[in-house]
Amino acid sequence: MIEEIRQTCRTLLEAGTVNVVIAYGQSNPDGPVHPIFVTKPDDVEKIVWNKQCFANLTTYLTRKEVKSLGKAAILVKGCDARSLVVLVQESQVERSDVHVIGLACEGVGEPELAGKCRVCEVHMPVGVDVTIGSTEAAAPEGQNRYALVDEFMKKSPEERMAFWKQEFERCVRCYACRGVCPLCYCNQCIVDKNRPVVIDTSATLKGNFAWNITRAFHLAGRCVSCGECTRVCPAGIDLRMLNASLAQSAEKHFNYRAGMDPETPPVIGTYNAEDKENFIR
Amino acid sequence: MSETITQQALRALVDEWIGAGTKVAGPSYVKKDLCQYVPLTSSAELLLEGFIHPRNSVKDFFFPRHEKIYEYTLKGHEVELADMTPASTPQVIVAARPCDTAAVAILDAVFNWGEKDEFYTQRREAATIVALACVTHDSHCFCTSVGIGPDAEKGADVMLLPLDGGFEVRCLTEKGKTLFAGRTQPSDKTAVIPEGPKVKVSPEQVRAALEDYDNPLWKTATLRCLSCGACSFTCPTCHCFDIVDEGNAHGGCRAKNWDSCQLCMFTKHASGHNPRNVQGQRQRQRTQHKFRIYPDKFGEVLCTGCGNCARNCPVSLGILGTLVELCAEMPKTVGESK
Repeated sequence: MIEEIRQTCRTLLEAGTVNVVIAYGQSNPDGPVHPIFVTKPDDVEKIVWNKQCFANLTTYLTRKEVKSLGKAAILVKGCDARSLVVLVQESQVERSDVHVIGLACEGVGEPELAGKCRVCEVHMPVGVDVTIGSTEAAAPEGQNRYALVDEFMKKSPEERMAFWKQEFERCVRCYACRGVCPLCYCNQCIVDKNRPVVIDTSATLKGNFAWNITRAFHLAGRCVSCGECTRVCPAGIDLRMLNASLAQSAEKHFNYRAGMDPETPPVIGTYNAEDKENFIR
Repeated sequence: MSETITQQALRALVDEWIGAGTKVAGPSYVKKDLCQYVPLTSSAELLLEGFIHPRNSVKDFFFPRHEKIYEYTLKGHEVELADMTPASTPQVIVAARPCDTAAVAILDAVFNWGEKDEFYTQRREAATIVALACVTHDSHCFCTSVGIGPDAEKGADVMLLPLDGGFEVRCLTEKGKTLFAGRTQPSDKTAVIPEGPKVKVSPEQVRAALEDYDNPLWKTATLRCLSCGACSFTCPTCHCFDIVDEGNAHGGCRAKNWDSCQLCMFTKHASGHNPRNVQGQRQRQRTQHKFRIYPDKFGEVLCTGCGNCARNCPVSLGILGTLVELCAEMPKTVGESK
């Protein structure tokens, strides 16, 4: 599969179809996999594809440093393709400006598969220009994709609050969650507004609750559960639980799942007279 | 001859400190796969082996991420100010890695430069640091490249060196001697500490390479940087802070919060202009500060090779990788001839 990936990228670069390929690379064979930007055809040999390819590369599509390189091709897994769908729907990326190379994915993480991969339903990415590889992997039958949230919701409100206090207590406000998130693309993040200050920048419990809850709300109905925020948090905060809970609400009340289908209008951006209003009480 | 302590006796001693009202902090698993330096409530929480480096650093206990400088209360047209007293409760940091203790010694210079930072200094004076020598390292470690090593004593009051079933105890300062007085046993065993990571980069060569301010590397090698502060905030030597006012019309506080040169707001002017507008410029700044600006001013590099920047980076862009790449382009003789 890797040879096919490299050949596809080489052809795109040689033909001048794209100026840069956003891909996975590894500085040394035992080292961690990280994003790379390939601009020369011969450098496609640096591209890797293995169980350590966690990163959701679509986060780079809205960054000015990367945009300045010219037209891009990008490698996406099924989960990453979902965030690209949202970026296109929200007019952040012009779909025709990007050459999307989908990768058949049986999950990342070893020896243990990442949590998101164990409930994955998009092993074959959708909405891509070309797919490389194939897989028979499918979501386990009858699974509950919100099992973690359901389990958590069995706890009392006091226990849940105690849990979040303990988690947010560790937040140092490095904003790695925001940096890695493809859907945190605001030109000016609300936490960076300081005339006047909207959210305390102090890493106190108050400031940390305000920041993490606000960010989760801003991702409601948009988060595609790529899990990157949780993976990169240096304080090990279980952010996916917040996002999953909001995704569950979007599905339960509006039968909507972000990024699953480019043709389905975003739940936040549409109005329907049948929409439930039971949240206004 | 050496002085030793068994692991059991050390744990009992830690419990004694806690019992006596001393704040004790050390490495501990706060949840699965997350080892951090945290305040301890019992020695049972303390890790003494089986970890490379906690995800945070010891600076947290001297230079906290948020610190009130004063509080204000508005009463009609009157403003009342309340000074915050810097904490002077005795604290012991136990099982700190040598790269962390060395960092504290490096930070002393900047927090006592010109104006004394009372908050930092008082915490520092009230603290005793018990370091734990390293018997293992990972691919991110590069302490030996910046003049430190697995049993470097810089900044430590006591050095613990793992021995079978316990530790060799080297008391390095009066504070350290007081802490362990009468608690160690003489022994004919001395600890043998492995060499540590091989030397991966030379600060002199880095210093020379940094003279080239417009090196194209700052545009290419740092392209993947996501502009977060995970590197700075988990770095034992990064010490930049922001002063903020928080509160409302009735009262509030002025506080000192950690800040990072990697965040776009760090240099943004009130006019909206940002002199470091792209990420490559911000990466260059961090490297320049550590290997050129700080050494020029204070005589030592602002990096102890702990590797936390790489361990915590969402895209594995540690400073070591950047330094190696920076030096790879240089003729070998440049650094050596300086």
